[in-house]
This record gives sequence, C-alpha cells and structure tokens, in this order.
Amino acid sequence: MARMKFLADAERCIECNGCVTACKQEHEIPWGVNRRRVVTLNDGVPGEKSISVACMHCSDAPCMAVCPVDCFYKTTEGVVLHDKDICIGCGYCFYACPFGAPQFPQDGAFGLRGKMDKCTFCAGGPEADHSAAEFKKYGRNRLAEGKLPACAEMCATKALLGGDADVIANIYRDRVLKRGKGSEIWGWGTAYGKPDKPAAQPGAKS
Amino acid sequence: MKVPASKLSRRKFLLAVGAGGVATAAVVAGKNPQAQPKKAEAVAGSKGYQLTEHVRKYYETTKV
Repeated sequence: MARMKFLADAERCIECNGCVTACKQEHEIPWGVNRRRVVTLNDGVPGEKSISVACMHCSDAPCMAVCPVDCFYKTTEGVVLHDKDICIGCGYCFYACPFGAPQFPQDGAFGLRGKMDKCTFCAGGPEADHSAAEFKKYGRNRLAEGKLPACAEMCATKALLGGDADVIANIYRDRVLKRGKGSEIWGWGTAYGKPDKPAAQPGAKS
Repeated sequence: MKVPASKLSRRKFLLAVGAGGVATAAVVAGKNPQAQPKKAEAVAGSKGYQLTEHVRKYYETTKV
C-alpha cells in the first residue's frame, strides 16, 4: 500500500508561492485560511532557504493524539483527515502541530474561531467522493480523480514533491546524488545528525 | 398546628414535578442506552491514491 507524503526540496524552492495559490484556487479556500504557506529562513540574506509547509500527514500525528472529540482519522494511504461535523474548534490540534497546519476561520459556527481547516492532501473528507458537501467542507478530492495534490503538481521547479513516499524518496535521492551533496542541505543535520563533523578518534584528546 | 391548604398543594405540585422529571430522564436514557459519540471515519468505498497515467507523468516531470 502506497503511503502519501510531501517532501520540500529547499535547494529548488524559489519562494514563488505558486503552491499556496494553487491550493487556494483548487479548494476555494476562504480569506484568512492558509492550508499551505512558504517559509523562508534568513530572508534577504544570500543563501536564504525556503520550503513550502502544510500538514505533513505525520505517521504518528500529534493532532490526532490530543483531539478531545477524536475527529481525526487516517486513510489507508496515511493521509490524516478530520471530520468537521465532529470538530468543536477547540484549537488543541493547533497547539500540538509542529508545522502550524491547523487553520481556524475567523467567522462561522463557533464565533471567532470556527471549525478547524487544514490540508487534506487533496483527498477530500468523510463525505462521498466528489459530493457537494465534501467540496464545501474540504475542497476537491483529486486523489479520487487519479491525481496528486494541486500544490505539488503546480510547483514550477518541482521543489515540492508529493505522492507515494517510496517514489518521491527515490526522486530526492537521485537529486542528492546528482548534486554530489546532501549533508549541507537544510534540515539534514536535524534529521540524520552532523556527518560533516569527524567522529572522535578513540584515545584522542578533546 | 394546622398547615394551610395552599401550602400543601404547592408541596404536592413540586413533588409531582420532581418525580416527573426523574421519570422522563429514565425513559430517555432507556430508549438510547448505546448512545456513543460519533466516530470519525472515511466513507466506505472512497477511492484513494491510484497510479494513473496522470500520476506517472507527474513523477516523470520531477526528474528533470
């Protein structure tokens, strides 16, 4: 079974915000809600890095763990979705999410906060595929149409990869091999340690 | 001491209201003993990821 994942290649992202625009257009996202956004580190400084951030559809999703009404569920492909009919808009998922993915509309049934909205990996919601209710609450269900998320497909430099984790991991590995570098890439150290630092020799003075 | 009839009728009325409330709650609870909060889950038969020609083309474009 394929497992759906996003992967943002910081070496390719040019901060065009095409992914953000594609998402908003595809799902008719209301003003003030950003399911996806581009984050830039050291903005304006030579060597700045940008990545596109949205729900990362975590394997062990903290939003699912903290939700007091258990409105989250995971599809067989690992896409983390939620049921807006159950959500009470408490905001616990927002506090738990390390990516700031959960969004809260400024108006609606629960006054200033509203029911949570987030990236669905273009997989719709618990309603029937392509139904009007599904589109209204969660946006278009591209996965059921045999497509992939609009943000990834629209990315001009293909910095944002989305799809089967095995396939996109292979694509990224090929890129790293062609570049001849990997450990310098932003985030590598956090994920895999700091291989650039030579390992301490046994008996060496520190 | 003799209790006025108006006070007695008020007490009876309040007792009757209280007993009626308890009985109604018992009936409601008895009708729906398995009341559970709704659980979030995907609709059955929902199509998910498919390795279509469209998806294959997307994967090819990422290799440029």
